[in-house]
Amino acid sequence: MAVPHRRSSRYFLMAFAAMVLGIFLAASSAWADGSSGVPNAVPPKGEHEGKNVEQPIEFPHNIHVDINKINCMYCHTYARRSKVAGIPPTSKCMGCHLVIATDKPRIKKLTEYWEKKEPPRWKKVHDVPDFVHFTHEKHLKRFVFDNEGMSVDRVSEVCAFCHGEVKKMTVAHKVKPLNMGFCARCHEANKGPFDCWKCHK
Amino acid sequence: MSLDNILTNWSRYRKGAEEGGFHEYEHQWGMVVDLNKCIGCNACSVACYAENNLPVVGEKRCGKNQAMNWLRIERYWDEPDLAPYEAIPTANVDAWIEGNPPAKKTELKPSMPSSYLPGLLEQDGQSFEQRVGFDGTKSEFQDFGASFLPMMCQQCHAATCEPVCPVAATYHTPDGLNAQVYNRCIGSRYCSNNCPYRLRYFNFWSYYEDAWPEPLHMQLNPDLSVRDKGVMEKCTFCIQRIRVAKDKAKMEDRKVIDGEFSTACVQTCPTGALVFGDMQNPESQVSKLWSYHQVERGKTKQNKENKELRGYRILEGLNTDPSVLYLERVREV
Repeated sequence: MAVPHRRSSRYFLMAFAAMVLGIFLAASSAWADGSSGVPNAVPPKGEHEGKNVEQPIEFPHNIHVDINKINCMYCHTYARRSKVAGIPPTSKCMGCHLVIATDKPRIKKLTEYWEKKEPPRWKKVHDVPDFVHFTHEKHLKRFVFDNEGMSVDRVSEVCAFCHGEVKKMTVAHKVKPLNMGFCARCHEANKGPFDCWKCHK
Repeated sequence: MSLDNILTNWSRYRKGAEEGGFHEYEHQWGMVVDLNKCIGCNACSVACYAENNLPVVGEKRCGKNQAMNWLRIERYWDEPDLAPYEAIPTANVDAWIEGNPPAKKTELKPSMPSSYLPGLLEQDGQSFEQRVGFDGTKSEFQDFGASFLPMMCQQCHAATCEPVCPVAATYHTPDGLNAQVYNRCIGSRYCSNNCPYRLRYFNFWSYYEDAWPEPLHMQLNPDLSVRDKGVMEKCTFCIQRIRVAKDKAKMEDRKVIDGEFSTACVQTCPTGALVFGDMQNPESQVSKLWSYHQVERGKTKQNKENKELRGYRILEGLNTDPSVLYLERVREV
C-alpha cells in the first residue's frame, strides 16, 4: 500500500501536469460558451433550438458586428437606458446606407421602404411572457458599466449571455431558452435578486 | 425563491412579531389613513381599479361577494341616537345654513343596523328598515353618523395568509410586503379564508372576457398581468410603481426618495387622507406619523403615553402586525 508522505517527486510533477491540463480544459470549455471574457460574471447555462423567424429583410448581424465592429448599442440604443433594447428606426439604417453598399439587393429593398416612408415590419425573436418584468438597463449596468475591467466595446459578449452569438448569425435566432430556470440559474450564480416580485408581475 | 428561502422567510417572522426580524428589510412600505380626512368619495377605489386592471364584475356577482375591489370603502353607521341634531324638513335647511341650527334631538329614532358591509348584508333581497329622511322622503340610510374606512391589504408582517398557502404562492418580500405570485397560485383559497380582514379576492370567472370590451382593453395597465380564473389576488401597494421607482433609484445609485412616487390610491385621494412611504427611512412622512402617534411595529398592544392620540391598527391584537396605520375619526358630539 502506498504511504502518502513518501510520494516521489515524479508524483508531484504528474499532479502539476494534470492541474495545468485541468485549468486549460476548464478555460477552453468556458471559451466554448462564448463568454469567458466578461469579468465578474458567470454566464448562464442552457441551450435551445429556436425557430427561424422570417424577417422582411434578412439583416446580416455578422457583417455589422463581426466584420465592421459596430457596437450592439449603436443600433439598439435603448438597451442602456430602458427596459427594452429597441429596434433602430429606418433613419438610423439610412444614415449609413445612403452612401454605403447602395447597390446590394437588401439595401435596395431597405431604400424602397425608406422612400415609401414605411418601416420594415421586423419580427420579434427574443420575447419573454407578459407576466415577466425584465429591464435591459439594469443588466447592462451590472455586467458592463459597473463591471470593473469590462470595456463597453465588448458589450456583445454580455449580450451573448441571453441572445447567443448574434455576431456570428445573419438573421437573429433564438439559441437560449429564456425560461425561468435560465434566469434563475444566472441570478443564483451572479448573486442577483431572488425575490418573485422582482421579475413576476 | 428557493425552498430554503421560503423556510428562512417563514421562520423569521413566525418567531413572533416581538422578537423582530423585519429590521433586516430593505424597505418597509407603510401607509397611514387619516379617517378624519376621509370623505368616502371612493376615488381611491376607482384609481385602484384603473391602475391594477381590476374587472368590474357587475351587480349580480357583486351581490355574491365576488367584487374584485382591492381597496374598498367600508361604511359604518353610528347608532341613530348619537346623531347630534333633530331631523329637519327641507324648508328649514336654508335657515340652518344661515346660522340657525335645528334644535338638539330630543327623542330616539328607529334603530338601524350599526354596521354595513356592502355585499354581505344586502344580498338575497334582504332590505333594511326604512326610515324617514330629513326632507320627508323615505330613505334607506340615516341622516347622520356615516363614517368611512378605506380597507386595502394591510401588508401584515406576520401575515396569516402566508403559512397556509400549500404552494408558497404568497410570501414575504425583502420590502416587507406580502406578495402574491399569480403564476404559482393554484386557487386553493386557504389564504382568503385565513385572512382576518377579508382582503383577498378570488377570480371565480374569467372576468377579462367581458370586463373590457373591444376598445376598453387598450386602457389595461401593461405593467401588470391580467389575472385569469382560479387565481387569488389582492392589493400589492402598487408593486409596479415601487419597482419602477426602485429601478430608477438603482440606476442613479441612490436610495428611493420619500414622496418620489406613491400608490394609485394615495395619488388620487382628493383630501390627502392617505399617506404612503418607506418606514425604514426615519425622515419619511409615514414614519414620522407612526412615531408621532406612538404606534410601534411588532406589538400586539400599544402603550401610549398620550391617550388622546388617534393612531390604531386594525385587529392588531391578532399579532398580524399590519403596515397600515389608521387615525381615528373625531366626532362632533
